[in-house]
Amino acid sequence: MRSPVSWRVAAPLSVLLALLGGCAATGDNKPATTASTSAGPVALTNCGTPVTVTKPPARAVTMNQSATEIMLALGLQDRMAGTAYLDDQVLPAYAAAYAKVPVLAKEYPSKEKLLDIAPDFVYASFASAFSDEGVGDRADWQKLGVGTYVSAAGCPKDTRPAKLAMDDVLAEFREIAAIFGVGERAEALIADQQERIAKVSAGAKGTRVLWWDAGNDAPSAGACCGSPAMIMSAAGVTNIFADLNGSWADTSWETVVERNPGVIVLIDASWDPAAAKQAFLEKHATLKDLPAVKAKRYVVLDFSSTSAGVRNVLAVEALARGVGGVGN
Amino acid sequence: MVAVVVVLAGGLLLSVAAAVTVGPADLSLGTVWLVITNHLGLTSADVPLLRDHIVWELRLPRVLGAAVVGAGLAASGAVMQTVTRNPLADPYLLGVSSGASLGAVAVLVLGLGAGAAALTGGAFAGALAAFAVVVAAAGRQAVLRPTRVVLAGVAVAQLCAALTSFVIIWAADPHATQSITFWLSGSLARADWAALGWAAPVLAAVFAVILWFARALNAFAFGEEAAAALGVAVGRVRWLLLVTTALLTAVLVAISGAIGFVGLLLPHAARRFTGPDHRRLLPIVVLAGAIFLIWVDTAARTLFEPRELPVGVLTALLGVPAFVLLLRRRDGNA
Repeated sequence: MRSPVSWRVAAPLSVLLALLGGCAATGDNKPATTASTSAGPVALTNCGTPVTVTKPPARAVTMNQSATEIMLALGLQDRMAGTAYLDDQVLPAYAAAYAKVPVLAKEYPSKEKLLDIAPDFVYASFASAFSDEGVGDRADWQKLGVGTYVSAAGCPKDTRPAKLAMDDVLAEFREIAAIFGVGERAEALIADQQERIAKVSAGAKGTRVLWWDAGNDAPSAGACCGSPAMIMSAAGVTNIFADLNGSWADTSWETVVERNPGVIVLIDASWDPAAAKQAFLEKHATLKDLPAVKAKRYVVLDFSSTSAGVRNVLAVEALARGVGGVGN
Repeated sequence: MVAVVVVLAGGLLLSVAAAVTVGPADLSLGTVWLVITNHLGLTSADVPLLRDHIVWELRLPRVLGAAVVGAGLAASGAVMQTVTRNPLADPYLLGVSSGASLGAVAVLVLGLGAGAAALTGGAFAGALAAFAVVVAAAGRQAVLRPTRVVLAGVAVAQLCAALTSFVIIWAADPHATQSITFWLSGSLARADWAALGWAAPVLAAVFAVILWFARALNAFAFGEEAAAALGVAVGRVRWLLLVTTALLTAVLVAISGAIGFVGLLLPHAARRFTGPDHRRLLPIVVLAGAIFLIWVDTAARTLFEPRELPVGVLTALLGVPAFVLLLRRRDGNA
């Protein structure tokens, strides 16, 4: 459903576009192949919204870190007119490419600011980017002829995958690459990530994991169906809160004690650092005596590596290795 | 009257005893009681450490915390309603809860400190600061006109709410906002022995003060001229009661966030049974508040277990229909 619905190569027009595309891609260290220069209109359905991109975008704007990093991983920085909203720093491997792209705002830019950039494609990780706190309704941008795209994991609830899987994330790489006419780059990226996941996931089998995202009163834990569950599943561990609906859910320490996790994932975010979480656990009258806390069986994951994107593989590797490393 | 208090006190003990046996973890009645008798030095049975903690460190302080917060809010509400002669008054009338929210959010979002203690401290400081601003804004004339205090309270509450929104929108991440929202909606999850250690004595002291002034409160109910005629130093007593209840509310809100409707609803409900005499009303409203919040919080932590609801959401869900019912019955009687 989220793969390209139709591929058409509009021959005469695309010759001109191909020349432009070829020029635009010359600063790129990956070779601009014939596949990238023969791109025609791409039509697909994204979050239930039909999106048609008549030619590979040349002035794309990304919002949210995952979308930005997927673009950089596909070597598309030369097609980016702007970017906004990082949770932390972009991956070091992409820092040089990122530096070439203008940063429009610390969080979401205003609609006016984005109009001023005159983008031809707007790509965000979360539907909130296209809300009033962000740049306004997707439909308005589509009417202006600006293509829009939201990560499957960030779609509004009714069009989100019922249970997010790594394949949904990999499909996003493929769709974005298709839109920009660089399909073969996605295949290389996907093959690399699949290989890395396969290499680590066998060792972690069955370890029972609490994924603690945030909150001290009612801990917000990774639930059945979002990116935390996806990463735990890919790493081969068992989520102690797999019975809760949604991506994250507020639960209680009493239940955590009862379910007694073997390993605790501490999400590290600027607003709720892993070190503070660890200190809380080790000072808490009850939690300090949990076997996992006593033995300091923690795995620290950056928040940015847990929203659907190219970093998920890092989280999978860290979780699987962390669990394997502490033994079980 | 004594019989009612005895019955309610018994009901409170039973409520604590029953609520502590209910929770998301599947513990048998026997285990729960063994843990409690162990800690009271009556038995010395072997209970696995984590089960012991679930009962003694998580459930019991929380149930007692619900009792203390419920009792305190109900008492403060009763006093506020009488002193300001305003049936809509509640413990948060003087900007205390919005000040506490602002303080807590500032701590959480701006990283002014880490951990639960910092949040409680921030909330308490915010509550006191807001109350101080209300007092300053109301000015000296307020001694004569309680409406000025109420209006100053409303204005400061609005200001704090706007600043809270500003801080959240300006600095917070959606994920940080989520845990703030949970706390702002009122939750007893952070009640522990340390919090009880200072909230319970404050409650006891404030309750002693307001009980001492029960006759003065009765006089207030007839209006200040009547109170003055009965020999009550209206201005002084009013300030003393406003300040002590605001202090109590600041302590409670720092522990539990702003739990709505308890302080508004229970005094009205209790008055239906006791009449306006505060010597009868105060003990009963305190016990009723404690029992009410114990059960609402028990529902909040077990209804959708293993998920947990903010208790303030449930007090509103139960409180609003009860309030409407109360209003209708009062109209019917009139």
